[in-house]
Amino acid sequence: MTRRALLRFEWAAARRGRVVSIFAVGFALASAGVALAGLSAGGVVAVQGFARTSVSLLQLTLWTVPLLALLLGAVGGAECTELEFLAALPAPRSRLLFGRWAAWTLALSAALVTGFGAAGIVIGTLAGAADVMRYLALVGVALLLLSAGLAMGLWIGVVARGRARAVGVAVVVWFVLAIGADLVAIALLGILPAHAATWNLAVLLVANPVDSARALGLGLFRADVVAGPTGAALHRLLGGQGAVLLTLALVAWTVVPLRLAGRRFARRDL
Amino acid sequence: MMERAGIELKNLAKWFGTRIALAPVTLTVAPGEVVAVVGPNGAGKSTLLRILAGALHPSAGSASIAGWDVVVEPLRARLRLGYLPQKLGVPLSTVVGDLAALVAAVRGLPAEAGAEALADFGLADRLDAMLGEMSGGQRQRAMLALATLGPIEALVLDEPSISLDTEGAEDVREAIRAARHAGAAVLFASHYLSDVALLADRIAVMVEGRLVACGTVEELALTAGVPWDARAAEAPIERIYRILVRGRPDPQRAPGLTLVRGGAA
Repeated sequence: MTRRALLRFEWAAARRGRVVSIFAVGFALASAGVALAGLSAGGVVAVQGFARTSVSLLQLTLWTVPLLALLLGAVGGAECTELEFLAALPAPRSRLLFGRWAAWTLALSAALVTGFGAAGIVIGTLAGAADVMRYLALVGVALLLLSAGLAMGLWIGVVARGRARAVGVAVVVWFVLAIGADLVAIALLGILPAHAATWNLAVLLVANPVDSARALGLGLFRADVVAGPTGAALHRLLGGQGAVLLTLALVAWTVVPLRLAGRRFARRDL
Repeated sequence: MMERAGIELKNLAKWFGTRIALAPVTLTVAPGEVVAVVGPNGAGKSTLLRILAGALHPSAGSASIAGWDVVVEPLRARLRLGYLPQKLGVPLSTVVGDLAALVAAVRGLPAEAGAEALADFGLADRLDAMLGEMSGGQRQRAMLALATLGPIEALVLDEPSISLDTEGAEDVREAIRAARHAGAAVLFASHYLSDVALLADRIAVMVEGRLVACGTVEELALTAGVPWDARAAEAPIERIYRILVRGRPDPQRAPGLTLVRGGAA
């Protein structure tokens, strides 16, 4: 009862917010643009199907989705620490946080699906339906990344003291995940012997949800060769089983931060 | 569980790092009793109330609502608590009707109970409004309506009349009287001493985190050494307050003034 009431309350708030509609429209336009650009660059669009543009769409996803999710989560988490009236209601504080995560995940998932849908229509119309199932799997990867980003953002928000600090930390975390981790991987390749580097890079991949999503997405279209040093290392270690591990890693990147955020929120002073 | 006891604070203390926000305070508010907490800014009034609401965790001591410890059994305690924080405590973008539905649901009441409570406060036509679209007075009335929703056994209000017009302030007084009449223990903080004298059965005076005096107006007048004949005149509450907060007896009267030093009342 409490769970449903909180989810309904947060869902209403998330739906009313402009961020979701702006993201839906922006992502749809960007995705459709990427799809059109990808197809025209291919020349023979009729035989490319979803594969070529999906790789470009994946890159768009890897940059925008974690940034938005981390920022929204951080702001939402920090705001939770100001909700003294709601926190005094007879509901566990952690449930308030989970309700917010679930509502935002649903709302942004709808926006993300809208964006992928717009691109899908462009691709399907111009290039046919080849690889459409892989494309849908790519949407699934994006949703997992979105969910993980929101959970991490909420964690940052409830730990940080104040909204401004939460936003700052979220931006730093996004930079580390989207760019910094790759730089570390490249450095490791240069420093470590091949065998040690493979293990370290595979661990680095699982430890970074953005990298996990990248490797998973590229794997879907058999583009592992461009999955970066970490993706290549995981492929060497686990072969086809790597996808399962990466999926589990992305799920863990939702569950663990969310639990930590819930625990921290329940124990901290407001 | 203890026997039903309204609000009970036992050596309740709170410190932030090395700063003591609340020195050990012992205070009981019986069911059907109204106690006002007064004191200058930074006296620890809000800290005390926020611990009761579960917003802050006590550093020492205990607090209970209707016999339920707010730390050990927070949900049971909060089920019996109506709380109005000093700040709004919900996003300004919240739609009043959504909030009413949420409060009713978590309190196990029918969905329409929240809307009915708002209607009782003259806000039936504001259910679709966002809190940010309402005037300060309407907003406070809406929050008061929802804070007092359901069969609460304790009502805790932090500066409930702040920024309210005459009508709004009367709504607050009425809500406090209604809660008292329903048998709830009421604890409220206020800077409006006229309200305090009008509503409170007892007044707790806090200074720098300490409870320096607690009692009826007559008892406080006696403690402060302020002459007052209750049959002849209104309580000189401001004078009593100033003396108790200053910590020195009225130089013209009562050479033997003793204030509460152990923080118990």
